[in-house]
Amino acid sequence: MNTSDSEEDSYNERSALVQSESPTIPSYNQDHDMSLPQETDSKRRRPVSSGLDEPGPVERERASTPDGEEEELTLKYGAKHVIMLFIPVTLCMVVVVATIKSVSFYTEKSSQRLIYTPFEEDPNSVGQRLLNSFLNTIVMISVIVVMTIILVVLYKYRCYKFIHGWLILSSLMLLFWFSFMYLGEVFKTYNVAMDYPTLVMIIWNFGVVGMICIHWKGPLRLQQAYLIVISALMALIFIKYLPEWSAWVILGAISIYDLIAVLCPKGPLRMLVETAQERNEPIFPALIYSSAMVWMVGMADSSNPGSADERQRNEGRARAQEGVESEDDAAQGGRRRYSAEEDLEEDRGVKLGLGDFIFYSVLVGKAAATGGDWNTTLACFVAILIGLCLTLLLLAIFKKALPALPISITFGLVFYFSTDNLVRPFMDSLAAHQYYI
Amino acid sequence: MDLSSVFFIGNIMNLERIPNEEKLSLCRRYYLGGFAFLPFLWLVNVLWFFREAFLKPTYTEQLQIKSYVKKSALGLIVWVAVLTTWITIFQHFRAQWGEVGDYLSFTIPLGTA
Repeated sequence: MNTSDSEEDSYNERSALVQSESPTIPSYNQDHDMSLPQETDSKRRRPVSSGLDEPGPVERERASTPDGEEEELTLKYGAKHVIMLFIPVTLCMVVVVATIKSVSFYTEKSSQRLIYTPFEEDPNSVGQRLLNSFLNTIVMISVIVVMTIILVVLYKYRCYKFIHGWLILSSLMLLFWFSFMYLGEVFKTYNVAMDYPTLVMIIWNFGVVGMICIHWKGPLRLQQAYLIVISALMALIFIKYLPEWSAWVILGAISIYDLIAVLCPKGPLRMLVETAQERNEPIFPALIYSSAMVWMVGMADSSNPGSADERQRNEGRARAQEGVESEDDAAQGGRRRYSAEEDLEEDRGVKLGLGDFIFYSVLVGKAAATGGDWNTTLACFVAILIGLCLTLLLLAIFKKALPALPISITFGLVFYFSTDNLVRPFMDSLAAHQYYI
Repeated sequence: MDLSSVFFIGNIMNLERIPNEEKLSLCRRYYLGGFAFLPFLWLVNVLWFFREAFLKPTYTEQLQIKSYVKKSALGLIVWVAVLTTWITIFQHFRAQWGEVGDYLSFTIPLGTA
């Protein structure tokens, strides 16, 4: 156990809570920590196809438990880890909201639609519009499901090179093409002259250093910054190209899908996790946002916790795929690893999938774009953070990978619609009548 | 089960934990990579290895790391100078250059000559 003493003390209460359930829990002690794969779909936008990020579960890395006799489970996660996730999620949302509010490009409705939302929303008829948004959602979700299954199949049949190449291609597209677009729009908004040579230098540097940091080795802070930036870029694309009502329905549907895929025994994400565990291997260059570096000693029978969040992009759209991070905490592995790691500093943090970042930002961004005033945006922001907090709490209690989307998105949606329709008119009429409460 | 090899998981946060040869190799690769028109890479190199090179007690590879950091810093300064000069020239003379200016421009501001 590599928790510090102080941490251990603060968790005593929770440990006690868990310990009372200990007869059933021991098997969980040796459970694997996993982050479930997160998959994105590819969407097609013009000739460039795009990917839809699927939410990934929040993963909690568990320290291995000491030798069998001691069943105390020290929960490694507390306020510190929650804050470590709050900050990047907040940053991502801030970037998205700031862009939405200042660069009008991302709120202009374009006549182009993604191929994944083929039904046009007719603003004239409510029923028709609702129907079309549900149909769009069905199309989108089925594409996601198909992509997830393809990923699982590919992984099962060890087509690593293919997945790897796909991953690299998609991060290339995201880092170069979307940032190029973004920069162009920002320059137009602020009426700045920019020449091609300088622009090429900027994009080239940004992209290449990003590829290096994300797929190879680089400073952690820089990697985190890049992940935040690409999540924000992806979220902006979604906000622009998803039709109004479809976006909300899709958000809801994605959360439900996330719930199913991660928790059901036959869910594709869960199967991916289990396959990775069986093979005892790390998956792919990680595109999970990790709040701390994992430094593991490799041993024959304990798997390497490569945080595996794969981002697969198809010809341009980001397809974030969260690979499985499996820590083999199986009985022998766990104990041995514990004894061998006594002198090794483990600085595991909490991991959150990039799709979660993206969808949180989509929700808040849409609230900022269409929600009227800042009340709504702030309400959604707070709702998402509360949801994240609750998810982390559940994670600490259940010690398995959990979907991070459902709770936050539910809260976010509830808060958005209620604030927009109830709180805002209320505040407006209060202000109009100069009545302060 | 003894401690076998040590794995890096993707990205490195803490330079403390990797052996010196790896540090040197990383520094060198970042330095060499910067020659591909990547002053940003040199900047990252300088910032990341600064403490390693200058603020740590000496170890065998430190001398080489120092030299790489210094060379990266030099390259960075050169690039910054070049880019600043070019940008200043372009912004100043863009309008006067007429067609060439437009050809070079990615975005042209509205409302000015």
